[in-house]
Amino acid sequence: MEIDQNFGNLVQLERGKEIYEGILLPSPENGIVLLKLENGYNIGFNKKEILKLKLLKKISEKEKDFNFEISKDKPNVAMVILGGTIAARLNPLKGGVDWLDTPESLFKFYPEIFEKVNVVKVEVPFMKASEDMDYKDWQKIARVVETLLNDSNVKGIIVTHGTDFLHYTSAALSFFLRNLNKPVVLTYSQRSIDRASSDANLNLQCSALVAISNLAEIVLVGHASTNDDFCNVMRGTKVRKLHASRRDAFKAVNDEPIARVYPERLEILNSYHPRNKDKPKLDLKFEEKVALVKVYPGQDPGILDYYLKNKYKGIILEMSGLGHAPTSRARLGWTKKLKEVQNKGLTICASAQTIFGCLNPMVYSNGREMLETGIIYLEDMLSETAFVKLGWVLGHKEWNFSRDKIKEKMLENFAGEFNKRLIE
Amino acid sequence: MKNDYKILGFKAGLEIHQQLDTHKLFCECPSVLRTDKPFNTIKRKIHVVAGESGEIDEAVKFQGKGNKDYFYQTYDTTCLVELDEEPPHKINKEALKIATEIALLLNCKIFPVTQIMRKTIVNGSNTSGFQRTVLIAYGGFIQTSEGKVGIDSIYLEEDSARPIEKTEDSTTYRLDRLGIPLVEISTKPDLKSASQVKETALKIGEILRSSKVRRGLGTIRQDLNISIKGSNRVEIKGFQDSKIMEKCIDLEVERQKMFLDKNQKNPSEVRNCLPDGTTEFLRPIPGSARMYPETDLELLHIKKEFIDEIKRNLPKLKNEIEEELRKQGLSEEMIKLIFKGDKLDEYKELYEVNGNPKLISKMLLLLPKEIAKKENKSLEEIEELLNKDVMIFILNAVYNEKIHEKDVKHVLEKICSGVLFKEAIKLGKKDFDEVEEKILKIINEKPNLSPNAYMGLVMKELKGSITGQEAMEIISKLMK
Repeated sequence: MEIDQNFGNLVQLERGKEIYEGILLPSPENGIVLLKLENGYNIGFNKKEILKLKLLKKISEKEKDFNFEISKDKPNVAMVILGGTIAARLNPLKGGVDWLDTPESLFKFYPEIFEKVNVVKVEVPFMKASEDMDYKDWQKIARVVETLLNDSNVKGIIVTHGTDFLHYTSAALSFFLRNLNKPVVLTYSQRSIDRASSDANLNLQCSALVAISNLAEIVLVGHASTNDDFCNVMRGTKVRKLHASRRDAFKAVNDEPIARVYPERLEILNSYHPRNKDKPKLDLKFEEKVALVKVYPGQDPGILDYYLKNKYKGIILEMSGLGHAPTSRARLGWTKKLKEVQNKGLTICASAQTIFGCLNPMVYSNGREMLETGIIYLEDMLSETAFVKLGWVLGHKEWNFSRDKIKEKMLENFAGEFNKRLIE
Repeated sequence: MKNDYKILGFKAGLEIHQQLDTHKLFCECPSVLRTDKPFNTIKRKIHVVAGESGEIDEAVKFQGKGNKDYFYQTYDTTCLVELDEEPPHKINKEALKIATEIALLLNCKIFPVTQIMRKTIVNGSNTSGFQRTVLIAYGGFIQTSEGKVGIDSIYLEEDSARPIEKTEDSTTYRLDRLGIPLVEISTKPDLKSASQVKETALKIGEILRSSKVRRGLGTIRQDLNISIKGSNRVEIKGFQDSKIMEKCIDLEVERQKMFLDKNQKNPSEVRNCLPDGTTEFLRPIPGSARMYPETDLELLHIKKEFIDEIKRNLPKLKNEIEEELRKQGLSEEMIKLIFKGDKLDEYKELYEVNGNPKLISKMLLLLPKEIAKKENKSLEEIEELLNKDVMIFILNAVYNEKIHEKDVKHVLEKICSGVLFKEAIKLGKKDFDEVEEKILKIINEKPNLSPNAYMGLVMKELKGSITGQEAMEIISKLMK
């Protein structure tokens, strides 16, 4: 009795005295198979209980043809598809995930985006959940995007990506791609695309409008609220995932959205870098040995020795309040250890645990005590952006030779990662 | 002229949807329908997507036409799950238990392993664009006077959001109803006549009410699948009551016959029953293409121990309860009234307080009506004043001999006229003492008469305020 070979076929199963008929499917649980009954419902069978399996009919998967044409009146965009919910569709016949990685499959799910633009190119450098990505993936994405930025047939680029670590990628692209000439729009979905309520539809329609707009920036476009009415256009270095499941998971932090985008129009809210004829420059240098460490009550500063011993070059320390860690008055004080590891060559930068607001070590003596150890205070920069930026800065030989140079570069505003005027 | 259903090859199956009396199916929100102003309203779009086979279901395509706006009203009894902003929580165990219990009462077999499915629905009535539903049982039956009716399947599913307002390009829904657990029972197409349809509906309704289900308007919905020989199946929804059902069936048979007479076939579709029993087109009949698995949830295992536990505690059905009430000494008339007035739960609870079936049934069923008539108030108003707490208090007072059984009516009247119930009991006692005093006076004035003679005098003096039996009791007591 070959159970697994019959997935997708119409079969008859015998269990006890009963006979069932339906399409045999794999199940997410070991030892269990599913049967799709005529009414569409799936029921489960323990493989061991199946007394007999009879093949009734082989069913071959049929792909439908789509009317898909490129119109000369519409602007051309390119898409870079990297996996995540927005490009994954469950195939219960296979028990796995089908990727939407061709213009045809995209058209099937998102016909609305094709009303606004021609998707003339679809690049798929890899398909990954964003939690599986690292800096090497960011470099691959940047290379693909750079080629498209240099393609005169393409007006803008839409990058679809999983949500978990999307804000790391948006920060990385912001540093890796210099002299930007066109819009690079990252977008996502929080609700799977096979449901009629998927947020991907609005996110993609809005991304298309931004991709053909005048904004030559790395931006993240996504739901502004739980409503399906408009999306925020947020700067790649100033955005963070702030909710595990809501559509409006991403928010601009210590920054205002650059624009608001409706399916039919773009409303500019703040200044931006305009579309231009520059030649984009790729700067992919990256030091892998950087870490992001969160300070917590009673934490042993000895943890820093671990990083030093393992040849780390830099740490973003997520500090409390305006920029504090346990002082020399604490049972386990950090001051001495911080001084020591920096003297041994570890770069320590401070970011805010509070997510919102700007660090300021001058307000309390506890902050001044930290500052005196040599920590670089990264003002209002997001921890995730700071982590990416530290890897990028330390990756440059021409910068990483001196503490002063590193500090200078960490505090230079390369891609809008600092905002000197916080208004909320 | 009445149609001969047998000759026409009439076939019908019932689909009954009943709300369960628990919190919501996939979140912890209470199942409360709100009538107050919504706290917030959100706006969404729904867009039609291809099912797992890559094809778009006919019914889905029909519903998804146009670029409508959907508005959803939210309350403090709404959470992110109903807003489609959080994955579903684990299935509500109590709802699963009730649904399993109903399946067992309908003699069904339970699937040991089954999968929660998403049924694509794109008219906006589900924020997710689908309804979560799971097939839990099959192969049951019930008996009717016209023969056995098979129960094809039992499903446990989420109710949809309540439509509040429709315009040409938008619909507003309220999220209070979305997610309330529903059990769906579909019979086999075994029903051979309109009267059998009605009997089956009533019988299943009765069985449902023996379980923990919600009561009242809109908590149960019945759909009918009808065909005659040679015609296409039509699903009819929206029966306001079972009375209209028979008429509607006759009219639908007539309608399908008209097509056949013209050598045509009626389209297979879903139709809506109007108040006069005629029907109107609603949408095409959905196929199986709109079903795909709920990937956010594990497979559902309904374990043998779980089922056995339910089997051990199955609720009694109506005829068993009737027998029990009869044994407690209630008259057939009272038993009928208890079921008619939907007072069984209250009766049972009060019976625990004071095992006096006659007094309890009188307090529940007769006295409120009498008082309402006398006070010229509505029964609802009186029943609200004489709520369960009041009844329990009074029954305790009788049990502890603080008041006499015959004072109960008087005390209840006092309570209805606005006297606090603690005071009303004292009044009852006092009034009764007064009566006793008066009777004593009569006896003392004319000593040495027979009890019956005193009875005549007493009834003449106190007419109306006391019954003959009560007077006799006091007279005999005082004469000792």
